[in-house]
Amino acid sequence: MNKTPWWASESFWRKVAVWITGGMLVILIFLTFDTVKKITAGSSRVPAYSVINKRIYYRFNPERGFMEPVIGDDAPLFGKMLSEEEAEKLVSLGKMTIQAKNCMNCHTLLGNGAYYAPDLTKAWLDQGWGAESVRENMMVSFLMDPKTNGRGYGTMRRMPNLGITEEEAHGIVAFLKWMSSIDTNGFPNNFKTIPQEGDQ
Amino acid sequence: MTEPVLASNIMLATMAGAMMILFGAFYAFFFAWSRLKNKASYATLAYLSYGIFVVFTVVLVQVLHLSGYWRILVALLLLGYLLAPHGIWHLCVGTHPHEEEIATRSTPGKSSGLS
Amino acid sequence: MSLLKFDYSSLTPGKKLAVKYFIVAIILFGAQLLFGLIAGAQYLVPGLFYNKLDFNVVRMVHINAMVIWMLYGFIGSVYWLIEDEAQTELVGYKLGNLAFWIFTLAVAVVVVVYLFIQIGPGNQTSLWLINEGREYIEAPRWADIGIVVCVLIFFYNVAATFMKGRWTGIAGVLVLDLVALAGLYLAGMFYTPNISVDQYWWWWVIHLWVEATWEVLVGCIMAWSLMQVLGTPRKIVQTWLYIEVALMFGSGILGLGHHYFWIGTPEYWLTIGGFFSALEPVPLVAMVVHAVYDAGKHDFKNRNHPAMAWLIAHAFGNFFGAGVWGFMHTLPQINLYTHGTQWSASHGHLAFFGAYASINIAMWYIAVQKLRGDVPFDSRLPHAWRWKSALALLNIGVLGMTMALLISGYEQSFIERAIEGSTWAGYFKAQTAKWFMQGMWWRQVFGYATALGYVLLVWDLMTIGKDVPQSVIEADRKERLHGQKTRG
Ligand code: HEC
Ligand code: HEM
Ligand code: HEM
Ligand SMILES: [Fe+2]
Repeated sequence: MNKTPWWASESFWRKVAVWITGGMLVILIFLTFDTVKKITAGSSRVPAYSVINKRIYYRFNPERGFMEPVIGDDAPLFGKMLSEEEAEKLVSLGKMTIQAKNCMNCHTLLGNGAYYAPDLTKAWLDQGWGAESVRENMMVSFLMDPKTNGRGYGTMRRMPNLGITEEEAHGIVAFLKWMSSIDTNGFPNNFKTIPQEGDQ
Repeated sequence: MTEPVLASNIMLATMAGAMMILFGAFYAFFFAWSRLKNKASYATLAYLSYGIFVVFTVVLVQVLHLSGYWRILVALLLLGYLLAPHGIWHLCVGTHPHEEEIATRSTPGKSSGLS
Repeated sequence: MSLLKFDYSSLTPGKKLAVKYFIVAIILFGAQLLFGLIAGAQYLVPGLFYNKLDFNVVRMVHINAMVIWMLYGFIGSVYWLIEDEAQTELVGYKLGNLAFWIFTLAVAVVVVVYLFIQIGPGNQTSLWLINEGREYIEAPRWADIGIVVCVLIFFYNVAATFMKGRWTGIAGVLVLDLVALAGLYLAGMFYTPNISVDQYWWWWVIHLWVEATWEVLVGCIMAWSLMQVLGTPRKIVQTWLYIEVALMFGSGILGLGHHYFWIGTPEYWLTIGGFFSALEPVPLVAMVVHAVYDAGKHDFKNRNHPAMAWLIAHAFGNFFGAGVWGFMHTLPQINLYTHGTQWSASHGHLAFFGAYASINIAMWYIAVQKLRGDVPFDSRLPHAWRWKSALALLNIGVLGMTMALLISGYEQSFIERAIEGSTWAGYFKAQTAKWFMQGMWWRQVFGYATALGYVLLVWDLMTIGKDVPQSVIEADRKERLHGQKTRG
C-alpha cells in the first residue's frame, strides 16, 4: 500500500507549486505597477523627452555612492527649444531608427545588446565628441558617414554606413541625449564625461 | 547600491561565486552518496565540501563589502544550504515508498497501443 | 527516405509531425553555427563582409536561428511524446501539418529578408516588414503574429489531445506552461520610444522564457523520458515535477530582477534581483541530490546510450551554464562591471547549449532509434565512435568557447568597465588588450571544433543503427521480452 507521508505526497507538492507560482506572480505584478510608474517618461528616474532642451551632466552623488545624471540649464538641441510633443516625436524617430537599423546587434544600450561596439548609454556625454560646441554636428556627421568620420582607436573595426538620413540622425542624437539622462543606478561606473559649461 | 567590488577583486569575486555553487553541489552530491552507500567517508567529503563552500562564502562577503542585514541573509543562506540536502534526501525517501509495491506504475518500453 | 532506410510510414501522426520539426531544427542549428562562425571571424578580421553582411545582420541570424530551432525542437519533442502520455492519437494532424508548413515558410521568408533587405528606414513599416531590432525577438511584426497563430494551433493540438485521451499531472503542467510561454511572447510585441519600458518588458520575454517556462517545459520532457527510458513510476516523477516547478518559479520569477539593476528601474531591484537569483541554483542542486538517489536505486540499463549521454550532458550543462556561470555575475556589486561584456556571452553560450541544445539532441536520438525500427543503441552499436566524437567535439567546443569568452570578458570588465569607465576610447582599449584578443582567437578555434562536432552529429543521425547485425536485433528482442516478464 501507499505509505507516502503528507509532506512527500503528490497533492501536497501540487498545491505548493501552485501557491508559490501564484504568490511570486502576484508580487511581480505588484512590483511591475510600481516600477512602470517610476520609469514612465516624466518621472524622476526617467525624465520627460523635453529634457533634450537642457544640459545633462553625469556626476558622483556621495549620498547614493554612485554617479547619477544631473539636469542643468537650457541647452537646446540643434539650437531649437522643443515642446514636449515635438521632443517625444523626435526621440521616437530616433528610437524607431535604432530598431529599424538593428543597432542593438552591434551595440549595447543600457548595457543590453551586442558587444561588437561601444555601449551607447552615455554616448551623448562621451569625450570622443571633442567639445560641447561641436558635439551635435559631429554626431550627425558620424552617424551619416561613420566610415569617414570613425575612429577605431587603432583597430580596423568600423561602423558601416547604414543609410541614415539627416532627419533620422537628428532623431538618434535626440534619443541618445534623452537616454543619457536616465538614472541607471550608477551604470556605467566612473564614466568620464566631455567637459560641459557649468562643470566644476 | 552597496559598494561595488574593487576592480582588482572582480576575478576573485566571480570565482568565489562560482566555487560557492560548485562546492554547494559537491556537498549535496557527497551527502546523497554517503546516505546511499551508508559510508561515513563520503559524509566526511560532504562536510569538507561544505566547509570549502563556507570559506568561499566568507570571501565573497568580504570582497562585496556586505554588511548589515545582508550578513543576516548570508547566515540564513549558509544554514539553508546546510539543511537543504538533508531535506531533499528526506523527500527522495518519502516520495519513493517501496517502489516495487506500487501498482500504478507506467509501463516502460511499451509506448501505448499506437505503434 | 528509402536511401536512409528510415521507418517513417509506420509512425503515429504525432511522431510524424515531430520528425518534421526535428529536421528543420537540425538544419537551423547548422545555420546558427555557420553564422556564429562568421560573427566570430568579424571580430578577428574587421573588414569581413563590411557594408555587405555586417556583424549585426550575422549576429541576428545566429541568435534567431537558435531561438527558432530550439522552439522547433521543443514542439517536436512534445508531439513526439504526447500520444504516449495521452494514450490516444494526435487530434489534429492535418492542422498541425498545415501550421508546420506555414511556420517554416514564414521562417524562410524572414531569413531571406534578414539577409537581403537587412535594414529599413526609421518607421513602423520597417518594424512590421523587415525587423524589429530587439535582440532575440527581431522577427518583424507580421511574423510575430504568424508565430503566435502557429503556437496557438500547436497549443490546441496539445490540449485537445489530452482532453480526448488522458489528462495527467504532466499534461496539466505542460499546458499551463505553454500558455505562459505564448503569453510572454506578447509582452515583446509593442513599440515604445521609452527604452527603459522597452527593456523592462523585453526581459519578461527573454528571462521568463529561459529561466522559468523553458526550464519547466524541459522538466516535462525529462519527466517523460525518465518514465519511458528508466521506468520510474509516474507518481514519483510527477511529484518531482511539482517540486521542480515550485523551486524554479519560486526563484526564477523574481530572479528577473537581475536584469533590472541598470535600466532605469528603481533601486529595490538590486536587492530583489540579488537575493532571488542567489536562490536560482537551488533547484539545480536539488536535481543533483535526486539524480544521485535515482542512480543509486535504479538499474541504469538503457537501450539508447547516445540519448542517455546527452541527457547527462543536459544535467551538467544546465548546472554549470545556468547555475555556476549565472551566479558568477549575478550579484549587482559584480554585475556593475560584467554587465554587457563578453562575460554575458560566455554565460549565454554555456547556458543555452548546456540546458537546451543538449536535451534537444537527446530527443533526436530517441526519435531516430524509433525510425530505425527500435534497434538497440547500446554497447553493441556499430560505428559508436561517431556519436561519441560528436558528443565530445560539441561539448569540448562549447566549453572551450565559454572559457575563451570568460577570459575576454574578464579583460573587458576590468579595462573597459572598471578602469576606463565604459567610454568609446575605453571600449577599444579593452578590445585591443592582449588577453582579450587571445580569447577571441580561441573562441574561433573552439567554434570550429563545435561546427565539426555538428557535422559528425548530422552524419551520425543519418546513419546510426543502420548496420546493426540481425543477430544483435534478435538477441535484443529476446532480452526485452524477458525483461518485460521480470518487470511485470
Ligand atoms: C555593424 C555594427 C554596427 C552597427 C549596426 C551600428 N554600429 Fe555604431 N558603431 C560600431 C562601431 C564598430 C563603432 C566604433 C566606430 C569607430 O570607432 O570608428 C560604432 C560607434 C558608434 C558611436 C560612437 C561611439 C560612442 O561611444 O559614442 C555611436 C554614437 C554609434 N555607433 C551609434 C550607432 C547607431 C545609432 C546605430 C544604429 C543606427 C549604430 N551605431 C549601428 C558598429 C556598429
Ligand atoms: C538555462 C538557463 C539560462 C539561460 C539559457 C541563460 C541565458 C542568458 C543569456 C543568453 C544572457 C545574455 C542576454 C543578453 O543578450 O543580453 C543572460 C544574461 C544573464 N543571465 Fe542568464 N541564463 C540562464 C540562467 C541564469 C541563471 C540561473 C542566472 C543567475 C543565477 C543568470 C544570470 C544572468 C544575468 C545576471 C545576466 C545579465 C548579464 C548582463 O548583465 O549582461 N542566468 N543569460
Ligand atoms: C560555431 C560556434 C559559435 C560561434 C563562433 C559563435 C559566435 C558568437 C558571436 C560572435 C556572438 C556575438 C557576441 C557579441 O555580441 O559579441 C554570439 C552570440 C550568441 N551566441 Fe554564439 N557562437 C557559436 C555557437 C553558439 C551555440 C552552440 C549557442 C547556443 C546553443 C550560441 C548561442 C549564442 C547566444 C545566446 C548569443 C548571444 C549572447 C549574448 O548576447 O550575451 N552560439 N555567438
Ligand atoms: Fe535572467
